[in-house]
Amino acid sequence: MQRRTFIKTLSYLGAASAFPFLSARGFAAISSAIPVAELPELKGELTLYLGRGEGGLYEDVLDAIKKRNPNFNLRIRRGPTAALANMIMAEAKAGVSQADLFWAVDSGAIGQVVDAGLAQKLPGDLTQQLQPEFRFSHWAPISGRIRTLPYNPDRISAAQIPDSIMALPDTDLSIAWAPAYASFQSFITAMRLIEGDKATTHWLKGMKNKTKQYAGELGVVMAVERGEVDLGLANHYYTLRLKSGKPDARLALAFTKNDAGCLINASGVLALKEGKTATDFIRYLLSKEVQTYLSTEAYELPLAGQLPTPAGIPNLAQLSPPNVDLTKLADLRPTINLMRKAGII
Amino acid sequence: MTRWPLSYTISLVIALLAFFPVIILFALASDSVQMFDIRNLEILSNTLLLMLFTAVGAVLIGVPLALLVTYVKIPWRKFWLILLAAPLALPSYLGAFTFYAAFGTGGEIENVTGIATPALNGLLGSSVIMALYTYPFVLLSTRAALSSLDASQVYAARTLGMPLLSSIWHVVLPRIRNGIAAGTLLAAMYALSDFGTPAIMGLDTFTREIYVEYNSFGLSQAAMLSLQLLVVVGLILYLESKVKGSQEPPGRHLTFWPKPWQANLLLLTTLPIVMFAIVLPLAIFSLWLWREGTGNFDFTYALNSAYASLLAAFFAVILALPLAYAAIKGTMGRIMERITFIGFGIPGIVMGTALIYAGLQLPFLYQTLALLILAYVLRFLPLAVGTIRSSTESLDGSLVNAARVLGASPKEAYQRITLPLTMRGIVAGGALVFLEVMRELPATLLLGPIEFETLATYLWRVYEAGYFGRAAIPGLILIFISALGLALMFSTERWNSVELNEEEQR
Repeated sequence: MQRRTFIKTLSYLGAASAFPFLSARGFAAISSAIPVAELPELKGELTLYLGRGEGGLYEDVLDAIKKRNPNFNLRIRRGPTAALANMIMAEAKAGVSQADLFWAVDSGAIGQVVDAGLAQKLPGDLTQQLQPEFRFSHWAPISGRIRTLPYNPDRISAAQIPDSIMALPDTDLSIAWAPAYASFQSFITAMRLIEGDKATTHWLKGMKNKTKQYAGELGVVMAVERGEVDLGLANHYYTLRLKSGKPDARLALAFTKNDAGCLINASGVLALKEGKTATDFIRYLLSKEVQTYLSTEAYELPLAGQLPTPAGIPNLAQLSPPNVDLTKLADLRPTINLMRKAGII
Repeated sequence: MTRWPLSYTISLVIALLAFFPVIILFALASDSVQMFDIRNLEILSNTLLLMLFTAVGAVLIGVPLALLVTYVKIPWRKFWLILLAAPLALPSYLGAFTFYAAFGTGGEIENVTGIATPALNGLLGSSVIMALYTYPFVLLSTRAALSSLDASQVYAARTLGMPLLSSIWHVVLPRIRNGIAAGTLLAAMYALSDFGTPAIMGLDTFTREIYVEYNSFGLSQAAMLSLQLLVVVGLILYLESKVKGSQEPPGRHLTFWPKPWQANLLLLTTLPIVMFAIVLPLAIFSLWLWREGTGNFDFTYALNSAYASLLAAFFAVILALPLAYAAIKGTMGRIMERITFIGFGIPGIVMGTALIYAGLQLPFLYQTLALLILAYVLRFLPLAVGTIRSSTESLDGSLVNAARVLGASPKEAYQRITLPLTMRGIVAGGALVFLEVMRELPATLLLGPIEFETLATYLWRVYEAGYFGRAAIPGLILIFISALGLALMFSTERWNSVELNEEEQR
């Protein structure tokens, strides 16, 4: 029901653009999200490679943008993020480029394509819409996800959880994790960049005997809720989504401070070919309506303007994520080798 | 006579074409030093055990069902054949996922009925599910072998006082070993290369290693590991080639006429298979459909699936004929036939990427339906080759020789003797390719024309997005379209067939 309303709102907003309160915002406040009504109409045709993880709600956003722009044709190829990244690189090598845009759920895949020199530089006023730590010259983060420690308040209290992720192996907590999951591997990459290889290996080995392994992070959160373990390592939205379906779930969130344990990672989009329509399309993804929708329905962190975080997550100002260049998280190879050496995967 | 026959030349071209993506993998793997960690014996033993249990399970289910639908006079025989073959069209990851959701504490079975069921996971869970979604390989290849078998030997054994079951065991099965082996080989290779099922069941296998590498952008490592997996593939290809059936002239068809209650009882025993492989997944999805409400499903997805699969089945059979023919001509032909199998043992997503590189060599075809069909044909050629070869193999040469002595050219002898007698194998091979293409995912996603959605890609979309209820209707349509396609194919079975072999009575 809410999704329908969203699509309608976005497609009829054109008519509402005459309302003074919508246009009054203007372009004055660069740090606040731009409403759809102020965006130029999309014209022509774009081909989007859409890498999917848990991205069912992205479809709604794309449908709404298509409805609002009747003279715009969007062709979508869907596929697993890593496979599409490989495909883009193979196409570039053969000189048969098909895609105009690549939207990936994982900044690692973005980093691969950017490192291969295939992404176009984005206009400065577009990146200015993003919060300062999320401004990159060749790609635009769309929504964020923060690493969290979901715990079961029936089994442990918040006071038992250390402030530092590095102290976790020294506790006597039982822990759920999903080492084969891309977000987990990005988190280990961040740890490697912050603490060094030696400390990370030590941490992985220390954790090995305290942890139970799951296929994905929804599984981790469900295991915490059922009381199979005390605490888990997972992206924030799994907890929020599970709680939205089951409000009395025995789940609470803890955050570490200033280390890889509260890394903010992002899904992002990049343009593979130059063109106004492609960059305008990215502007739609950063619009107030789309960002608000991703936050309220998908529980992702809005990264454009200064929109509130989804209910259940402290504001970005109250969190202390580590200072890591997200593009560097693409360097997964050493992380995989390290995890193999520690016997985790 | 030991000249290089025409079928060799054609086969060589096809075999090289089918092997081309594997050569691309070699090129991709060349800058990798990653080797499979031999210390990690647990993963290797998991992989081998899963393969073994799947093969055994597929034989245990597939062979008795093949006997039932071939020899026993049951009402609506074709219907049962089609229904029992249909699980091959369902993606096994969906089966695994619904099993995971249905069983165990807090599972849907307990939620709905209140009956607690044990959780199904690990090696046992993976093997059960894998066997349920691969036994049609064995069913169809065994049926093709059975139906060209002469019944007189069974009648002789029975006349001499051998009980029914032991005459099947001693007189029928040894003569169709190669047919059973052809299907078992495919089941084993599927188990070796599938990722979704063991991942959902929490079993660490070789494919998981490959996916970890692939997803962390180690394409060359993933290619390298896939090539190492080919050692196991080579081993089972070798083992299968050692299995020999018998060669004999065709004869009267064996038919059992059970009493109605016996027929019903026999059909009742197939019920658990149908329940678990088809009804359970569809029931679970319908339950979610009822809870969540429906989504927007476009019927063109079903049409896309159907015609792409039919085209692929048609061309696969055409390319498979010379290969199967060459395989029984001599060692070289045999080697060329084996080469086409190799690609089937490589995990889908790695193969999909290799096919992108291959497809990019033909830029004018890239991302067209033609290229997608070509990719399907090359990837699933072994499905057709195996069944056609095993049914050609069991042909006694004397009929062809007789025709030649009577003045027929090799071409005429082939058209009038060999081809009609192998028709069942050809139809079975086409059916296997058809069903496998219906559920194919990676190549469809990566190589199809843009926005070309099939039932399999739609199912994947809703599964990834977590809208499981939306899988119910397309899942049902997938079964329905598969059944229609199979019915169409099996109706051509009697076309060109020899009357002697059929004693259908009305």
